[in-house]
Amino acid sequence: MATPSDFPLSPPDDKSPIPEVVTTPSPTPPTTEAQQASIAQETPKQQDSPPSVFKNSEPLREDQIQNAIKFLSHPRVRGSPVIHRRSFLERKGLTKEEIDEAFRRVPDPSPSSQPTVSTQDGQKAVSNVQPQGQVQAMQPAPVVMVPPPSLLSRFRWYHAALAVGVLAASGAGTAVFVKKSLIPRIKSWVRRIMLEEETDPLKKADAKPSLAEEAVAAAKAASAAASDVARVSQEMMITKSEERKYFEDLTRLLGVQVQEMKSLSNNIRNLEGNYNNLPKVYSADQEVYGGGLVKTSAERRSYANGSNIDYDTRSARSASPPPAPPADSSMPPHPKSYMDIMSMIQRGEKPSNIREINDMPPNPNQQLSNPRIAPKTKPWDYGQAPQEENANGPWWQPKNPRSMDFGYETTASRSIGIQNETNTMEPAALPRQRSWVPPQPPPVVMAEAAEAIRRPKPQAKIDQEAAASDDQSGVSDELQKITKFSETGGDGSGNLQITEIQEEREQQQFSQEGN
Amino acid sequence: MPVFKAPFNGYSVKFSPFYESRLAVATAQNFGILGNGKIHVLELSPGPPGVTESVSFDTADAVYDVSWSESHDSVLVAALGDGSVKIYDTSLPPPSNPIRSFQEHAREVHSVDYNPTRRDSFLTASWDDTVKLWAMDLPASIRTFKEHAYCVYQAVWNPKHGDVFASASGDCTLRIWDVREPGSTMIIPGHDFEILSCDWNKYDDCVLATSSVDKTIKVWDVRSYRAPLAVLNGHGYAVRKVKFSPHRRSLIASCSYDMSVCLWDYMVEDALVGRYDHHTEFAVGIDMSVLVEGLMASTGWDELVYVWQQGMDPRAS
Repeated sequence: MATPSDFPLSPPDDKSPIPEVVTTPSPTPPTTEAQQASIAQETPKQQDSPPSVFKNSEPLREDQIQNAIKFLSHPRVRGSPVIHRRSFLERKGLTKEEIDEAFRRVPDPSPSSQPTVSTQDGQKAVSNVQPQGQVQAMQPAPVVMVPPPSLLSRFRWYHAALAVGVLAASGAGTAVFVKKSLIPRIKSWVRRIMLEEETDPLKKADAKPSLAEEAVAAAKAASAAASDVARVSQEMMITKSEERKYFEDLTRLLGVQVQEMKSLSNNIRNLEGNYNNLPKVYSADQEVYGGGLVKTSAERRSYANGSNIDYDTRSARSASPPPAPPADSSMPPHPKSYMDIMSMIQRGEKPSNIREINDMPPNPNQQLSNPRIAPKTKPWDYGQAPQEENANGPWWQPKNPRSMDFGYETTASRSIGIQNETNTMEPAALPRQRSWVPPQPPPVVMAEAAEAIRRPKPQAKIDQEAAASDDQSGVSDELQKITKFSETGGDGSGNLQITEIQEEREQQQFSQEGN
Repeated sequence: MPVFKAPFNGYSVKFSPFYESRLAVATAQNFGILGNGKIHVLELSPGPPGVTESVSFDTADAVYDVSWSESHDSVLVAALGDGSVKIYDTSLPPPSNPIRSFQEHAREVHSVDYNPTRRDSFLTASWDDTVKLWAMDLPASIRTFKEHAYCVYQAVWNPKHGDVFASASGDCTLRIWDVREPGSTMIIPGHDFEILSCDWNKYDDCVLATSSVDKTIKVWDVRSYRAPLAVLNGHGYAVRKVKFSPHRRSLIASCSYDMSVCLWDYMVEDALVGRYDHHTEFAVGIDMSVLVEGLMASTGWDELVYVWQQGMDPRAS
C-alpha cells in the first residue's frame, strides 16, 4: 500500500505573501487617494493597451520559483495530474509566469518518454529525493532511499511488527527467566543461611565470613541480575520507542488518506441524518495537497451533507456545490425536506413530482424579436449617481431621502437616454409621469469634433447628423464614428482637422479611463 | 413590499435593464438536486398584490441562473442544470420558447452574465471547470476558457471594459481574463475555501468583491492584489452571492446560507450597514436594480421572491 507523502506546505512557502485574512479595511482617504494616484499613473500606460492594469506586471520572483521547483521535483508530485500541480501553486500565490517558468526548469518527463529514460530518471529521482528527504521536515525521519518507497514501507511494516513482537517476547522471556533464576537463587541462599545457622552455630564465626562472602556474592549476583534486567528493559524501552516513532511517522503519512476516508464516511453518516461537526477534517482536507484528491476520489462537490451520486441518465447533484464551511463552524442546517430528497436519491428513488418536459426550441431558427427600446445608459457610465425620483412614483420608487445616509453625492439628473420611449411603449406598467429631463448633452469633445467635421465636406455633414442623433451606444461607439469621419472626410480637407480630431480622441480616451 | 411565491426553490433573480418594473427569477424543483426548473418573469405593480407573474417557462432541468439581454429588451438567457444554455424571448408565447438551446457544457451551468458594455455577448460558467463566451446569433460558443481546476461558480463582465471579465471558482482562485488574450491575465488566490461569487465595482473598474464558503467577502484591487482592500465578516455561513450597487460606489449587497441579506460599505470601519432576515431558508439570489436606485430583490430556497427598497422591511405590507 503506497503511502502518499505530504508536500512542502509549511516553511518555505509560508513566506509567500498570500493574502491571509487581513483585519480592518484601510481608512477611506488613503485608499481612494492611492487608487486615484495609481489611476493617474496607469493612464499614461493605458494609452496603448487599456486593460494592462488587469495583467501582472511584477517581475518573476526567484524564491517562489525555487520553491515551486522543489515542489515539482518531488516524486509524489510528478505522479499527479498537471492541473493539480498548477492549482496548488496558484493557491500559494504564484503568478502564471512564475508557474510556467518553474515548469520549464523542472525536467518534466512526459508519459511517452518515461519508459525509455526510466532508469536515468530513477537515479535522478533518487539523488533528488535524498537532499529533499533532509530538507522536508514532514518526511518520515529516516528516509531510506535505495528501495522504492512502496516496497520500503511494506518492508518496514512487517519489519516493525516483527521487531516489536520479538522484542516484547524477548523482554517477557528475559523477565520470566530472570525471575525464575533470581527467586530460586534467593531462596536457596536463604535456605543455606538458615541451614548453616541451625546446623553449625559455632561455625558462625567461620561461616560468617563465608556467610558474609556469600551474602556479598549473592548481593552482587542479585544486583548484577537486577542491573541486567534494568538494562534489558531499558533497551527494550528504547527500541520500543524507536519503533513507536517509526509507527507514528507511518501513521502520519497514512493519516492523510485516513482523513479523506473519514470525511467520506462522515459525509455519508451526515446524509443519514447525523449533524456532526466536520470542521477539522474538512480543513485538513483542504490543506493537504490534492484538493484535487477530493475530486478524483469521486467526492466532487461533496457538500457537508451531500456526496456525489451519479446515475446513468439523469445525474442527481448535491444541491449546492459549495462544500462544508471552514474550521470553526458547523455546517448550515439544511431543510428537512432537502435531507429527505437526498436520502431518497441515495436509495435510488426518483422524487415523484418530476415531470417529463420537452424544453427544446420548437423552431431553432426563430428570429429574435426586434428590440422595442434602445439600451439605456448605465448610471456608472456617466460617473454620476442619479438623482432620486419624485415622491409621486409607485412604491418601488424611492420616496424619501434614504433612511440610511451613506453620504452619497446628489448630483446631476440621470440621463434617461435620448430615445426614451418607455413612457409610450411599456405596457401600462408606469402610470407615473416621469418629469421629462432633457437628454444629457453629448460630451463636449463630441461637439468640437462635430464642429470640425461640419466644415466643407457635405457628406461628412450628413454623417455627423446621423451620429449626433444616435447617441445610444456609449462613448466607445461614438469614438468609432469619429474615427470613421476622420478617415472619410480627412483626406482632402486639410491636416488641421485631422490633428484636431485626434486630439479630441485622446482627450475622450482620458475621460473615459478616468471614469 | 411585494412577495412572490414560486412553486420551486429560488436560485437567482435579475432585474431587467430595460423595464424598471420587470424581473426574472430562476427556480429549480427539489432544491435543484433533481427535477424540473422554471423561469418566471414578474411585473411589479403599484397596487396590491405588488408583484404578478407575466409569463413563465418550464424546463426539464433546474435553472440555476438567468440574465437579461442588454440588446433586446424581451430576451433572456438561462443557465440550466443539464449543461444547456437556453435563450427565451418573452414577447413570444411560451409554446414558441425557447428560441435557442446550446448544449456544450459537460456539467451544470451555474451562472450566466450578459455583457453590459458591448451588449453582444454573454458568458456562462459551469461546473465542468470552464467558462464559455457566446454571442446571441451564433450557433456555438465563441471561446472556451479552461484553466480553473474545479467548478467555476460565476463569471462577471467588467462594467467599464468590455473585454475583461472575472471568474470565481471552487479551486479557491479568482481569475481575471481578457478575451483578447489566450489565457487568464491574473490569478488571485482569494480565499482558502471555495469562492462562490464575484462582482465588479461599477464605479471603480479595478475593484471587485469575492464571497466564499469561509463566510467572508473580500474586496480586491487588481492593481495590488496580494492583499485585499477589505475583509467583510458578519455572515454566519457561506456567502452565496455578492453584488456591487449600480448606484453607490462602495455599497455591496450579499446573501448567504445564514438566510440573511446584508448590505456593506467596504470603505467604512464598521462595514455592515444593513441586514435583512426575511428568508426562512438559504438566501441564494440577490440583485440590485440598475434603473431604480435602492431597489433590491432576493430569493431563496424558501420559494419566495422579495422586492423591496433599501431601508424598508422586505416583509412589510
